[in-house]
Amino acid sequence: MTAATASAAAPRAWRVRPAAGPARLLRIELRRSPMLWLLPVLAVLFYFSTYRPAMDNPPFWNIRGSMVQSNTMLVFAPLLAGAGAWVGSREGRRGMADLIGVTAVPRWAGQLATWAAATIWAEALYLACVAVLYGVTARQGAWGGPLWWPVAVGTAIVAASCAIGFAAGARLPGRFTAGLAALVVFLALAGGAFAIQDNATYAQIWPLNVQGPFPADSYGIFYPYLTDLAVAQLMFLAGLAAAALGATGLPAAAGSRWLRGAAAVVAVAGLAAVGTATALAGTARVEAHGIVIPALHDAASDRPTAYTPVCGGGAVPVCLQPAYRAYLPDVTGALGPMLRQLAGLPGAAVRATQVAVTSVQSTRENGIGFGGPVIAGRPPVLYLPLSGLTLPGEGNAPAAQFISNLREQYGPMIVNELVGLPAGPGPGTGVTSVNGVVGQGHQAQFAIADALDQVLNLNVSLPPGHTVLAGAGGNGTSAGGTGAGTSAGSRTGAPGSRPDAGRSAGGASPAPAELSAAVGRFEALTAAARHAWLAAHLAALRAGRVTLSEIP
Amino acid sequence: MNVEVTGVTRRFGRTQAVAGVDLQAGPGVLGLLGPNGAGKTSLLRMLATVIPPSGGSLRLLGRDPRGYAQRRQVRRRLGYLPQSLGYYPGFTVAEFVEYFALLKEMPPATVPRAVAAAVESTGLGDKARAKLRTLSGGMLRRAGIAQAIVNEPDLLLLDEPTAGLDPEQRVAFRALLRDLGQSATVIVSTHLVEDVGAACSEVALMDAGRIVFQGTPDELTARAEGTDAAGDAPLERGYSAVLAAARATAGARS
Repeated sequence: MTAATASAAAPRAWRVRPAAGPARLLRIELRRSPMLWLLPVLAVLFYFSTYRPAMDNPPFWNIRGSMVQSNTMLVFAPLLAGAGAWVGSREGRRGMADLIGVTAVPRWAGQLATWAAATIWAEALYLACVAVLYGVTARQGAWGGPLWWPVAVGTAIVAASCAIGFAAGARLPGRFTAGLAALVVFLALAGGAFAIQDNATYAQIWPLNVQGPFPADSYGIFYPYLTDLAVAQLMFLAGLAAAALGATGLPAAAGSRWLRGAAAVVAVAGLAAVGTATALAGTARVEAHGIVIPALHDAASDRPTAYTPVCGGGAVPVCLQPAYRAYLPDVTGALGPMLRQLAGLPGAAVRATQVAVTSVQSTRENGIGFGGPVIAGRPPVLYLPLSGLTLPGEGNAPAAQFISNLREQYGPMIVNELVGLPAGPGPGTGVTSVNGVVGQGHQAQFAIADALDQVLNLNVSLPPGHTVLAGAGGNGTSAGGTGAGTSAGSRTGAPGSRPDAGRSAGGASPAPAELSAAVGRFEALTAAARHAWLAAHLAALRAGRVTLSEIP
Repeated sequence: MNVEVTGVTRRFGRTQAVAGVDLQAGPGVLGLLGPNGAGKTSLLRMLATVIPPSGGSLRLLGRDPRGYAQRRQVRRRLGYLPQSLGYYPGFTVAEFVEYFALLKEMPPATVPRAVAAAVESTGLGDKARAKLRTLSGGMLRRAGIAQAIVNEPDLLLLDEPTAGLDPEQRVAFRALLRDLGQSATVIVSTHLVEDVGAACSEVALMDAGRIVFQGTPDELTARAEGTDAAGDAPLERGYSAVLAAARATAGARS
């Protein structure tokens, strides 16, 4: 040690660079933030929690967008809260409180710099992860553009998690604070998930909630992404962060009376924001394509997204939303042969066009109904929702499985639509049978539908006991199907049909043998004969004016 | 006077740590001596504005630190080395010193040079880029001294600064103290009377929360004359003599 003066000190390579005080303070904190140690762990967790599952899903922006909010934050938020607590408790753990407490910079300002550094790193990693995932999604040719609202909510979750943990660490410095903070945040997220399952309206504010229980194509593809919930969540999370950070500025050692007053104002404003956002979420209602909060809703976002469909050729063209372009050959391959055979019949679809799964608030518990295929309009168009099915590549599902599912689940429904069988008896069952629901006037419709199922090979591989539900395979809530449901396999117990299905057609009337005979007769016709008979009698069949004996 | 202490007391629960201290100090090095539990650290923490006094009044650098604004002004011109130095293991020496320079609100343009000077002054130039976790106890102590002096304080409070320093470093540190004491008020709390003899222009001796002696080292040495006070060095004998006399007086009073 020498009594050197400042001017005598020789310049050195390590000499610090001049910069503005707060910027330099932040720079030091950034270089030495313990959060740096956590970044590789978070990157690995992102890969397993989000990237890999995302690659097992179709390259849709809405799916990828929701994953960077829900999947990523489920694992990030607890860890970030723990890391924030570790950073926040640094002064206490390291015995620095006296030394830092006698410096001129208000302690709260110094703490904010420490929190900011940790949060900047966490945000940087999160955004880098999102950039990778979105970049890959863009390279996969996803239709439309990336959704930024889920990313905004994700960044708010990062900041709020760090702030909550930091506040806990600063107020209760200790070795176990970090672990406890992580656990508490994890339990809070889990509790939110349960609250959502219980359909509590206020719980919609849960930060991992993207658009409630909607299937993927209800928002962001056929309709714009509704920002209502995201805005409320941002308000909620910003409020949490402000309340937590404000709380760190309340102790007497934090700074001047004025500064502590400002911290109190920030904390109170944060709590007010949390309360307001939660109250707004309480007014949320589930509508056709997302969660609507009236006070935040922009009616312009209710208009469907404009797009030019991609269509396949054939007697009955199949048109899909361009986001589904890659699946057009599979859809055409699955439905084309059936649609060709039915083409030209009165009421048969002249075109198939994809639609969003219909979603309605059928109950006060926000029940969602998934629609099945519907033939409607003049000329008749087959409206075909696809999001309820497992798409090729989704969860490593092969294209053959998609084609098979499409034929076996939607084929009988399309036939039902054609012959005029009524829709399912009501929400939650999705099953129709000769005895149970449909009157005797529809026996011929059942027989024809069953025969068509047989000749079109629509129900040959359904497992015993399987029941087709309208829109089956969706990310389901209540399945109050609006589409026509049907018992799988044969409706009538015709040759080749399952015994249980045959029994369901027995009972009061008609006799199974009579039904089976009708089915067998119609099946035995040539394609041309069937087509000719249907062309002549389909209207009467739909009206319930054809009896079993009249079936050729 | 940079330090004016009048009747200052400090209680921690039922323990009276400082029991009415009067002290005045101008530029120079004041050694604060006393046995364990005498109240030296409590007095130093009050002077450093870590804790407020329970009673009495303090004026530091001409300001009353009870008000936040004045306390903040004092803190800008204060250097403090606590007895137990905490540190962030991941910081380098230079970063640690710079960190405190910034927290002391030094003008940013002056920080680089001040950091360099402080690090060089404490003999840590070669270790400036070393992480604190890699340093020995003595080096950490020097890093603590560097952060205390980085803002060229007008009031420097050092609690056991030479603990852990090797003899060579202690000699150098005493020289640094003398240099700093030319313009600033330096108060050094220590058990090591040889530090006081070598570096301090004035000495105060505390016992049982009171200052029982304040004068020059020579005056303290003179207190041993005519007594059989124990000690290897003259200053130690003076220290022992003053303590014995103070305790005798206190015993007689009680």
